[in-house]
Amino acid sequence: MKINFFLIVLIFLAVLAISLFLGPTPINPLALDGTTREILISIRAPRIAVAVLMGMALGASGAVLQGILRNPLADPYILGISSGASLTAAIGIIGGVTIFGTFSIPVFAFAGAVLTGGIVGVMGWKRGGLWPERLLLAGVGLSFLFSALLMLIMSVSRDEGIRRAMLWIFGDLSMSDWERVPYGVLFVFGGVAISLWRAKALNALILGDEFAHSLGFAPHTERVLLFISVGLMTAASVSLGGMIGFIGLLIPHIARFFIGSDNRLLVPASALGGGALLCAADLIARSALPPMELPAGIITAIIGAPYFLYLLRRKNVLSV
Amino acid sequence: MSSASKPMILELSGACFSYGNNGHVVDNLAFSVGEGEFIGLLGANGSGKSTILKLGSGILRPSAGKIMLWGKQLQSYRNKDRAKLISYLPQTLDISVPFTIRELVGMGLYPYDIPPAITPDEALGMVGLTDKADAHITDLSGGEKRRTFIAMTLLQGAGLLLLDEPLANLDIKYQIELVRLLRTLREQRNISVVMALHDINIGLQFDKVMLIKNGGILGFGRPEDVLTESSIMDAFDIEVKILRQTDGKAYVSYQENYRK
Repeated sequence: MKINFFLIVLIFLAVLAISLFLGPTPINPLALDGTTREILISIRAPRIAVAVLMGMALGASGAVLQGILRNPLADPYILGISSGASLTAAIGIIGGVTIFGTFSIPVFAFAGAVLTGGIVGVMGWKRGGLWPERLLLAGVGLSFLFSALLMLIMSVSRDEGIRRAMLWIFGDLSMSDWERVPYGVLFVFGGVAISLWRAKALNALILGDEFAHSLGFAPHTERVLLFISVGLMTAASVSLGGMIGFIGLLIPHIARFFIGSDNRLLVPASALGGGALLCAADLIARSALPPMELPAGIITAIIGAPYFLYLLRRKNVLSV
Repeated sequence: MSSASKPMILELSGACFSYGNNGHVVDNLAFSVGEGEFIGLLGANGSGKSTILKLGSGILRPSAGKIMLWGKQLQSYRNKDRAKLISYLPQTLDISVPFTIRELVGMGLYPYDIPPAITPDEALGMVGLTDKADAHITDLSGGEKRRTFIAMTLLQGAGLLLLDEPLANLDIKYQIELVRLLRTLREQRNISVVMALHDINIGLQFDKVMLIKNGGILGFGRPEDVLTESSIMDAFDIEVKILRQTDGKAYVSYQENYRK
């Protein structure tokens, strides 16, 4: 298991290097001139950083969420956080909001995500704690509501904003720049750190609240902490570059095939796997049909899903 | 077996609890568990067996009364300190994530910063699961699952095991095996065990039983004193005869006629 984890780290680093130096125009790191240096530092590196941060956030929060909801079908989007973020982002884009400069849309999306996470938390709260089924149903309900409101806004507005909003909703990394990286690092690493710090408690919660209590954890407190970490990671991811499918749901399952179910390894492995997959998908998205760019979210599913289905058939995973 | 001279591990006095506003599920409960005791809880469905175990483990807080662990209020313990003294196993062990047996048993070490002397593999050896260490929990039989969690409690090092119907859904053979295992562990490590039971015949084999009805104690003591034809009628609303084999072993025979 430890060896497999080491391999995941290596794959992750290899994908980073390939994305940085290959791409529509390959760059030789040993022979940089002014232009290639500029491309590398100002265009490629920030885009890769944003893709990695988003993928890490989705992979890690998927693993945590499947644990706290005790549901292998859970993903960070099931809580409605992304729908809330999309709604506020679309309002910002179509309304042409610029109060926070280039940060306007990320700030709008983040606010929508946090607000939605808060509402889901309030709805999932009963008798002094968060209850998995209540959280799940509240999230699904809000998700439908916000998607409907989003459709309503899209269908009554006419201008060019709709196309940009659509692009954003389906995951757009082309706007990535260094400015977005620091706050992404803050929330994504913060969320991963909380999840790792509480990873033992997460393992115990998977066995059920009574087991968790018996093993010396306060189940409700632990669930609130982990829920906050998932909320922060998902909000950061959606506000960095919109919605990317597949990673949050299936990367944790793929990671489980290789390193087992212990969240002390599973959470970091899902983060690295998610980061590597989105980075690779974005490389393909911008190199496959130049100069056209495909949405990275579509590529993650096209390369990820067949691999997942192959693993599902090859290894016996009826238990998940 | 006299237990009066042994120190009390768990002591409930005047403990009350209710889930809603519809009266007390457990009412004015008082009993204590001594070191090395092996106690079976018997009572009809809904009589309060699970609630009593959950109160004893601190999962539920009593609305009135006191629960003392080693002479100190149960609620005053830090979670991790309590976990080193009491281990509770719920009735349903439905775990959908494919943890390996070794991973699960290792969770018994979570309350510890410095691991105690016993290792996960040693604990697996004690419950006879050494060759299953790398199997997934989702692939094990009901009896093996129970033994896995008993191994976890061994690692946890708790002196008091509160088990909610650990024999439910096990074949008779595995029921006997599990009770024997727990008895062996008691002899080796002086643990105390309180377990909810649903089979009166197994209760008759215990050193001590508690008969429960409507959240109150009908009787607590040696099974031959507590489990009588009339007390069983009272607690379970069924007619039984208590018979004895030639070797003196008692058993109940249910007098209901299923074919009617």
